[in-house]
Amino acid sequence: MVIMTKQHLSRIMSACSLPLLEEIAHKIEQEQRLQVEREPQTSLIMTKAKDSVSSQPFYLGEVLVTECTVSLNGQLGVGIVIGKKPVRAYCMAVIDAAHNAGLPVLDHWNAQFHEEEKRIQEKYALEDARNAQSQVHFNTMEEYNDKR
Amino acid sequence: MGYVAVTGGQKAIEAADRINQWYRIKDAERSLETIEIEKQLRHLTDRVMSEGGLYAPEYAALAIKQAEGDLCEAAFLMRAYRSTLERNYESEIIDPGQMRIIRRISSAFKDIPGGQMLGPTMDYTHRLLNFALENEDVRALQELLKEQIPEFNTDQPLSLPKVSSLLREQGLLFPPKSSDVLFDITRDKLTFPAPRSAKLQILARGETGAMTALAYSSMRGHTTNHPTVGELRVGYVEVTIVYPFDSRESLCLGEIMLTEVETINAFERDDQGDVKLRLGYGLTFGQNETKAIAMAILEQGLETKGTTPSQDEEFVLLHVDSIEANGFVSHLKLPHYITFQSKLDVLRQTQKIAESEKTETLKE
Repeated sequence: MVIMTKQHLSRIMSACSLPLLEEIAHKIEQEQRLQVEREPQTSLIMTKAKDSVSSQPFYLGEVLVTECTVSLNGQLGVGIVIGKKPVRAYCMAVIDAAHNAGLPVLDHWNAQFHEEEKRIQEKYALEDARNAQSQVHFNTMEEYNDKR
Repeated sequence: MGYVAVTGGQKAIEAADRINQWYRIKDAERSLETIEIEKQLRHLTDRVMSEGGLYAPEYAALAIKQAEGDLCEAAFLMRAYRSTLERNYESEIIDPGQMRIIRRISSAFKDIPGGQMLGPTMDYTHRLLNFALENEDVRALQELLKEQIPEFNTDQPLSLPKVSSLLREQGLLFPPKSSDVLFDITRDKLTFPAPRSAKLQILARGETGAMTALAYSSMRGHTTNHPTVGELRVGYVEVTIVYPFDSRESLCLGEIMLTEVETINAFERDDQGDVKLRLGYGLTFGQNETKAIAMAILEQGLETKGTTPSQDEEFVLLHVDSIEANGFVSHLKLPHYITFQSKLDVLRQTQKIAESEKTETLKE
């Protein structure tokens, strides 16, 4: 049985390909009794950030998110994602509810989730590699003159 | 002197709204796509999100379009929109030390662990108009830039340690201050002296121009404050919340871009007589580097005693908000007939008294 924390799963689902999420959610919809408890709607999350001078948190500002809640066989599931993304929030809620209801959703789709995670990491690594081209080491003029 | 409302003018106001729409598009060949604003005017979008206090790039772009590029108006639209939404959760504490960095520099230290990375910046570019942009082929440029990617591996860590953490480990920084209340200016009434968390929240959504001007005044001579940027980093951080149905779990909602600045402001003696560095702190939504530096200067100014404007808590915190400052100044355009009439009445009355006093004097 595949075990994955909610944070790990939601990290993948918030950035992975939408068609994959739609495919999984559609499959669950076909096989299970699903009820939308709260339609996808935009709302706010207040972000707290760590002030490094005091090491205490402060409120940085709000982030627009889309949230959705569904129930599956009496088990609730929630999907919350940054931005106006109603379809993604719904699919995330369905998958979360299926997971909470004990359905082997992670086992069935494990390979696809891992593939998506790898793709996301590659995308990040690519961006990092692009920016790393601008790594710099400045010399002071004294150092420059000493080398001449 | 109270403000007296006016009534009427409905037809004229409706017509003015239509005329405004006309002027917005009358010479346009096509409607501006909000996605173009969002994806190609990054700094504008970031600034509106930061000053609006709402991270929503797609809506910031819409606000810019609706406001025809008026930044204060766009930030106002964002604040107005946020007030219509529910707020159901608070994030877990974001640590910018865990940032997936796209840019990281230090003007204090040449050699920082992990190295400096210039990333996306115009700092070292000549300020010459680039006429090639007038007829830019985006697709061709994208392809060209795609080809210039070096080898990469996915095992490399994407976050780097903070310079301040290293200084703190070496005992060079003042220890963190004692616990402070976590104040929310969007929910609680601000009183002075304000807690540190309130000051940071106000500055984080302050107006870039106002903050830059005040920070400039602080550096230019009103104080002896000339900080050095210990570290400036720009990148993505994850936003997480406690999972609503099980507090032992967290949910990741995605990433947002932040700019964080730590300035080294001054050497001071601590209670034991040891000389240590005092940091200033700035953190903003998006890539807003000048604002983040200004925030670090201002917040540190507010932590020190002095008589300069930038050290006056009420002066700084009550004047850096775009919506309040812009709203108050621009409300002068609205009808003030009664206010002005009363001023005229006072003037006429004064003139009358002066005239009669003059006549009395002549009689005597």
